[in-house]
Amino acid sequence: MAGLVTAGAYTLASLGQNAVIPSRILPFLGLMLLLLVSAHVAVRWLASGADSTLLPVAALLNGLGYVMIARLSERLAGLQTTWTFIGIAVFIAVLVFVERINDLSRYTWHFFAAGAGLLLLPLVPGLGFSSGGARIWVNLGPINFQPGEFAKLALALFFAGYLAERGRLISTSTRRLGPFTIPEARDLLPLVAAWGFSVVIMVGQKDLGSSLLFFTLFVVMVWVATEKTSYLVIGLGLFVVACVVAYNLFDHVQTRVAVWLDPWSRYDGKGYQIAQAMFALGNGGVTGTGLGRGLPQRIPEAKNDFIFAAIGEEMGLLGATIVLLSFMVIIGAGLRIALRTQRPFEKLLATGLTTIIGVQAFIIIGGVIRVVPLTGITLPFVSYGGSSLVANYALLALLIRLSDVSARRLGEVPDTPMLSERWAARRARKRTDDVTTEVSDL
Amino acid sequence: MNQRIRRLALALLVLYAVLFVQLNFIQVGRKASLDADVRNTRQTVRDFDEPRGPILTAEGVVIAESRRTEPGSTYSWQRVYPEGELFAHLTGYFTLAYGATQVERVMNDVLSGNTAEQQLSGVWSVFDTDDNSGSVTLTLDANVQQAAKDALGEREGSVVVLDVQTGAVKAMWSWPSFDPNVIADHDSAEAGVWLQFLDLLPSKPLLANAYQERYMPGSTFKVITTAAALEAGVVSLDTVFAEESQYLPPQTDDPIENYNGRSCGGDLTEVFRRSCNTPFARLSIDLGPSNMVEAATRFGIGEEVPFDLPSPAASAFGDVDYFVDNLPLLAIGGFGQGNTQMVPLHMAAIAAAIANRGTMMTPFAIDLTRDHDGKVLDRTEPTMWRQVMSPGVASTMVDLMKVVASSGTASCCLKLADGVVAAAKTGTAQLNGPGEPERSHAWMIGFAPADTPRYAFAVVLKGTNAEISAGTGGTLAGPVASKVMNAALRDR
Repeated sequence: MAGLVTAGAYTLASLGQNAVIPSRILPFLGLMLLLLVSAHVAVRWLASGADSTLLPVAALLNGLGYVMIARLSERLAGLQTTWTFIGIAVFIAVLVFVERINDLSRYTWHFFAAGAGLLLLPLVPGLGFSSGGARIWVNLGPINFQPGEFAKLALALFFAGYLAERGRLISTSTRRLGPFTIPEARDLLPLVAAWGFSVVIMVGQKDLGSSLLFFTLFVVMVWVATEKTSYLVIGLGLFVVACVVAYNLFDHVQTRVAVWLDPWSRYDGKGYQIAQAMFALGNGGVTGTGLGRGLPQRIPEAKNDFIFAAIGEEMGLLGATIVLLSFMVIIGAGLRIALRTQRPFEKLLATGLTTIIGVQAFIIIGGVIRVVPLTGITLPFVSYGGSSLVANYALLALLIRLSDVSARRLGEVPDTPMLSERWAARRARKRTDDVTTEVSDL
Repeated sequence: MNQRIRRLALALLVLYAVLFVQLNFIQVGRKASLDADVRNTRQTVRDFDEPRGPILTAEGVVIAESRRTEPGSTYSWQRVYPEGELFAHLTGYFTLAYGATQVERVMNDVLSGNTAEQQLSGVWSVFDTDDNSGSVTLTLDANVQQAAKDALGEREGSVVVLDVQTGAVKAMWSWPSFDPNVIADHDSAEAGVWLQFLDLLPSKPLLANAYQERYMPGSTFKVITTAAALEAGVVSLDTVFAEESQYLPPQTDDPIENYNGRSCGGDLTEVFRRSCNTPFARLSIDLGPSNMVEAATRFGIGEEVPFDLPSPAASAFGDVDYFVDNLPLLAIGGFGQGNTQMVPLHMAAIAAAIANRGTMMTPFAIDLTRDHDGKVLDRTEPTMWRQVMSPGVASTMVDLMKVVASSGTASCCLKLADGVVAAAKTGTAQLNGPGEPERSHAWMIGFAPADTPRYAFAVVLKGTNAEISAGTGGTLAGPVASKVMNAALRDR
């Protein structure tokens, strides 16, 4: 694993070398490497049984994105280093504090409240604000952040807890319609609620990407939990209904679809961004223009939603494929964790977290390269952005903890005491020592 | 649940496979059509958004540089040519819509910092700046170039000055020239109109006439005929040519006459000094088609002049089969008439070869390239183009040309400062047929100082107006050569 991290680091360094990037990036780059190595050490120490591919691959994505951001804006590269620092700190903190992952299932409804609260926060007058057309920002004193990025974590935890508990119950419905088992109306409620949430996000915040992500997350988790295809069908049905309604009601949805189908005739307007992304990707070709030698700054939001096009331009089909493969490795590793563990809550949580990463990356990459209509959302670990990076590192820490827990349970690694247990033991020992001392004093 | 999770994995795999296919479709399949889209200005904008290094003369005069445009302009840089038309044929131009020419074209990678070496050194110099554009230093001397421009004035023609030992170009000027600033302006429409206009002019100002055109050389070609005859042993300094006003070559009834029909004869030095025609017509016939063509080939005639700027012309003489059937043309070709055509740069190189013991150096205008930190990336090493004659013959040729300069056809007008002795050969190439109005090119080639040669020159004034056509190589090209060579020899 250390080798993999080193390989990732080496890739980073060589990428940095080929780039025409300003000097002050070098210390930042060093700092980035240091951060990633410390995250690695933390995993070895705190979760020795964890899957050994997740962190290096995430680090590679983070690094690729960082190099691209550094190439686009020196200032943002500095900030991204800060975000990475906070992200890694949160990553380690999650590993330290979440020791027995099953404990989290006790807080199911807390997570629901947190998730719902976070999602709706940007709609609170005076607190939330819009940027780039979507009202997904919250201003808390000096800090601006996107609560949605954290809400997806909380909701995955909630769904996992809720469905682990109720999944069986929901799936035991006996009503049938043709080949399908129809869920009881009462059991449909959560599904409808999730759908309602998605609609609120879509309408209230104009955030199509997040809305799509939440809804997919929930449908997938219900489907996996209940093993009922009918939920998938109903979910799809609700999705189609929402899409049709949204398309007819909202101009910006119509525009998105029109631009998706034909950006060229709208080149001077809404199609410009996609058209530039196309030019950039074409310009990149197979091997790319080389870092610093393309013109990714011509694509609006190249550092953010469109970072994939920037990578495709300067690192070519090869670099872009590395990004795709990295996400596939994360999906593979995440779902393998889901398969290995026996407990429903852990299974569902691993599935949910993996779905978030996999689907989110698909939505934005697909949007950039015109597989699906563009719905703005960040590319996990790659895009610039504090909220996104921190939330994704927290997510990664949960996956790694899940992986570690099942490895211990399967006896693949010795079930060494957890950090808190070690502390407790030490305290206990100390107390005994104190008693002994008193005795000897006598 | 495991089965569902596996299906989920499969579904996601399929989704990513779709992404991969689409990515291939865009980056490979549609690359050509995307790159060709007229709205896709990535290539040009990239060039215009990046700093581009300067082009300098040997002594450091900036003849092309990029200046920052006003804030808010479409492009960050504007290419500027501070010397205007003076170096236009060397620098060429670098434009948004009409590509790049000359040094701007051939040295594009260095100027924009895109050579592998600059990219690599960019890695180590990241601590300074992200600008790794390079500079190009030419061999040209701005004073000599300016002297050439002033001396030629508004007469169509070309001036070339070479360093005899290296082949480095000290001056290369042709009138008319053009102002590259107009063409490099970001206002492409205006530049386009101007380019079209220049392109239509018969004087071809966009062409570097000094090396991209060729002209009938007249008597300057006698240096080649003489050297070939000396080399072949068909003539020596002792050979005496009979006094005659005309010579009838084989296969014709139309005799060859001397200039103005005068009677001309004497030993080799004398006929060379006075530039008689008949002796050299005889020498050509004596040598015969194959020897003459072989000599021309040895002098590099028939091949493009090897030069480090684009599209050099090739001098022309003719081939053996043709001359065998047209001996009169071989006879007049021997003194630079008929189908003989010489590139001015080539004539200067031949003069330089005589001054350089028969070794003709490859002419070059690009001296060296530097990276952004001033470190030399590449320096042109002088190379031999051809050994055109033996050192012994070259030494005889020097003597013959010294006499031309001291008491021959050049003596009237080639006068160098500080008593420097020159060596030269004149030429007045008759362009008009019998009975037509007089039209002739005026040539002079030579070098100085005659005994320790430093610079060789070729001057040609095109016979496009009555004043030039009425003059001779000596009277017209001589004063130009004097001014240019004085400027060249004054330096250093």
